[in-house]
Amino acid sequence: MNLNKWLTTAGAVVALSSLQGEQLDLEKDELKFGFIKLTDCAPIVIAKEKGFFEDEGLQVEVIAQPNWKQLLDNVINGELDGAHMLSGQPIAATIGFGTEAHIVTAYTLDLNGNGITVSNAIWEQMQENDPDLDTDTPEHPITADSLLPIVEEKMEEGEKLQMGMVFPVSTHNYEIRYWLAAAGINPGFYTAEDKKGFTNAQVELSVTPPPQMPATLESGNISGYCVGEPWNQQAVAKGIGVPVTTNYDIWKNNPEKVFGVSAKWAEENPNTHIAVVKALIRAGKWLDAVDEDGAFLNREEAVRILSQPNYVGADFDVIKNSMTGYFYFQKTDKREMPDFNVFFKYHSSYPWYSDGIWFLTQMRRWGQITEAKPAEWYHDVAKEVYLPDVYLAAAEHLLEEGYIAEEDIPWDTDGYKPATDEFIDGILYDPMDPIGYLNSHEIGNKD
Amino acid sequence: MAESTKDKIKYKILKALDVSGFTAFDPVIRLAFGEEPQKQVTAIVKYLLIPAAFVLLCFWFWSWIGPRHKTKSGEVPTPDVVWESVQINDTIAEREAVKKSDFLLEGDERKEALEEVRVEYEALDARANALKAAVAEKEKEKAEREATLVAPLDAELDKLKTETRAAGKARDAEIAAISERVAAGEVEATVLIEAIRQDGIATDDERAKQNELKSQIDEIRSHKYKPLELARKEYDSVADKLFFLKTRLEFLDDRNLSVKLAESEAELADYMAELGSATSAKEALKIAKRAVKAEEGIERLQGQSYASAVTIYHQAKRSVFTVFVGFFMAAAVAIPVGIMCGLNKIFMACMTPIISVFKPVSPVVWLLIFQIVVGAFFPDPENNALLNFVNSIPLISSLGINPALVFSACTVAMCAVWPALVNTALGVASIDQDHVNVARVLRLGFWSRLFKIVIPSSLPLVFAGLRISLGVGWMVLIAAEALSSSDGLGKFVWDEYQNGSSLTFANIIMVCFVVGIIGFFLDRMMIILQRFVSFDGGGTSV
Repeated sequence: MNLNKWLTTAGAVVALSSLQGEQLDLEKDELKFGFIKLTDCAPIVIAKEKGFFEDEGLQVEVIAQPNWKQLLDNVINGELDGAHMLSGQPIAATIGFGTEAHIVTAYTLDLNGNGITVSNAIWEQMQENDPDLDTDTPEHPITADSLLPIVEEKMEEGEKLQMGMVFPVSTHNYEIRYWLAAAGINPGFYTAEDKKGFTNAQVELSVTPPPQMPATLESGNISGYCVGEPWNQQAVAKGIGVPVTTNYDIWKNNPEKVFGVSAKWAEENPNTHIAVVKALIRAGKWLDAVDEDGAFLNREEAVRILSQPNYVGADFDVIKNSMTGYFYFQKTDKREMPDFNVFFKYHSSYPWYSDGIWFLTQMRRWGQITEAKPAEWYHDVAKEVYLPDVYLAAAEHLLEEGYIAEEDIPWDTDGYKPATDEFIDGILYDPMDPIGYLNSHEIGNKD
Repeated sequence: MAESTKDKIKYKILKALDVSGFTAFDPVIRLAFGEEPQKQVTAIVKYLLIPAAFVLLCFWFWSWIGPRHKTKSGEVPTPDVVWESVQINDTIAEREAVKKSDFLLEGDERKEALEEVRVEYEALDARANALKAAVAEKEKEKAEREATLVAPLDAELDKLKTETRAAGKARDAEIAAISERVAAGEVEATVLIEAIRQDGIATDDERAKQNELKSQIDEIRSHKYKPLELARKEYDSVADKLFFLKTRLEFLDDRNLSVKLAESEAELADYMAELGSATSAKEALKIAKRAVKAEEGIERLQGQSYASAVTIYHQAKRSVFTVFVGFFMAAAVAIPVGIMCGLNKIFMACMTPIISVFKPVSPVVWLLIFQIVVGAFFPDPENNALLNFVNSIPLISSLGINPALVFSACTVAMCAVWPALVNTALGVASIDQDHVNVARVLRLGFWSRLFKIVIPSSLPLVFAGLRISLGVGWMVLIAAEALSSSDGLGKFVWDEYQNGSSLTFANIIMVCFVVGIIGFFLDRMMIILQRFVSFDGGGTSV
């Protein structure tokens, strides 16, 4: 809370003193940012490659990290100044699930962007269980209902279906759990002793780094996975699996990655932080720019940049699918999904408290938070992690400089999105009432 | 006289070949100097041409087997695909260099370059558009071809599906009828069991038939249509180039250092002029503050350098640097400890358990341990005095020394220390007893005994150990870099693996050769050193 107050004053001072659009008083101008090879690191890469960081007087190095844990460790130990992070990571680190450190975020990198892929064998069995799926273009969203008999059959044989996700506090973990639980499949609970989340599981979810997912699926160690792009399209291209659903269908326009820095860094470099967020906002806006017909203006160029080996590095044609508004569910099932990756639209880059609260409810639902907490705790944690003041200070500068329009930014919000029921199971999520939301699920901890 | 000079040169070359371990080329030199041509030609055929032919055969086998070994993770690249990836990596490095020089270009040169690139860009743009259209056309062609091929199979599949459904229903009805009759006691229960069993077999059968068809359809769909692939490849390479030119235009224009500097300087001049005509103290203060800021901005700009993307050349340089850091650390520990082990049996007995237990430990384990241990020495790597000092040394600064390099080097040292240590101890312990006796007779002190007798006579074995150490270190380093994502060839491989692009495998195989060739030269270097310190002139193994 202290930090927030402090930043508000800093932001205000800066905002008042520089109404001419000149450079901020940077505390530090050579920065290193980490990322994982996934397309949603795009805003960071674009801000560098298009010179948005340079415009702020920042010299930025963007460095690929081997996995989420090392990325977080590097941010904590100061090797990196900031990084592309899973939305759950700053929250989990702050409340001390996994590595404990106060991590904050002032910028949401994107919405959506993940998919759940199952192996060909499982897909065939799902088609047998539900003949409606047995066409070249089945109707979406596909629920896990047709997976349930397979899971039960396995259980009778004394086995548990194995699936993969990328990190214990990843959006992917919560999404695949949500998808399974919505069909009555228990994906397992975390407890004080069980840090793997296998307790009472019908389907066991294990951690596999994104790039290894297709190979692990092919080798038969897992029968399905939830991961970001390009690893679902990769499975289609190689013919080793079938993406059954995307997280857009599980929760429409769900928050995905954030730009995280350590609280210590944010406190020591308030102006640099604002400058970085300025560049990111411009990058987000650039990525989502469309012409009059609603076609993306810059995505193809973005894909060209991302396919460079030092960034995402996957083939241009593979990345292009999802980034330019298409998604292949099967070779025959190409769908238009203009919102598969949202970088700026719908005020998505604002650091919403309500996003943080949703992740907290999921951490509690699956037992990563081991004890019941009062509703205020949820709000307090969200306010400790999300820094809308930094975002707004950056936006104010950009508005003066003419880079963004008035309506691009939710200036007067209290940080809470309205309640929504756009989930695959239609359950209402009201961020003001986290406990009520927690109790409305059939499978999961209740308080 | 002339003859003897020639001979001298000949023997010098032969000696050099011998020392560096390239004795296979011996007959070539002898032949060049006209020594027993018959014998030399035989030797060249036996020991140079046949091995060369064998290597070529291996390459041929590789390019033959590659395309025949298909996996879903990708095809095994043939030598020419690997060569292509070498060229692509080279292009990347070259483009980075061009962008860097664009960034720094000034004055008329910049303007000329800008104009040139613009012309090139426009020409290429037209070509790219044409190629894009060609790709679209080929895509359509492919879709049509596919449709005509798949349509009959699809129809068959649909027919089969309806049939199967009908047959399944009929069997279900039959089973229901039988079960009723069983309940009524008209037929034996075994008949029902048999019927159910038959139903299961029939269902499996039908499923197999359907799957057969499905996989046929799938095969057609995943078939790569060559003309499309070619068109796409051509378009991609042009589009890549186009994008590069676009970036060049940016670096020659708005993002050019001199342009940015000129802008800032103009801004500063403006403030200065304004300051002169300021009417109130408050305004003057405000403008002066801005001027100071602008000045600082200019200073920062002057210090700016082009942030280059990491190329394979850079990674190779850094790996070689890291392995030497680790190697010298290992040598610095191994030689003194080894000498003490060799001199003193009790000390040796003390060290034996430590050596025996830690020698077989995997580098991965050491890496994880060093990550924790080394991390503690660099709480704030940005402001660490030692790192900053090392990074200010001209040649080394471009390598970017960081804690990751330090713990990779420590891992190398930890794994490389053992062969050097054991060999040194062995070398010292096996000194000729006569030498020891002489030392005793001469009543040499400890230090003169050490430097006059012990070290010189154990040097060949020490160097033999160091040679193994460097080899081990190089092998370990690549793994350590991959795991710790410390810049270097290991990280290059790991990043490539994570990229999962169509060039991934080719790049990995390329690194395999790069690592092998660098390792080969490191080894040769050690052989030469080893030969310089050996008195016996004994040959070195390959």
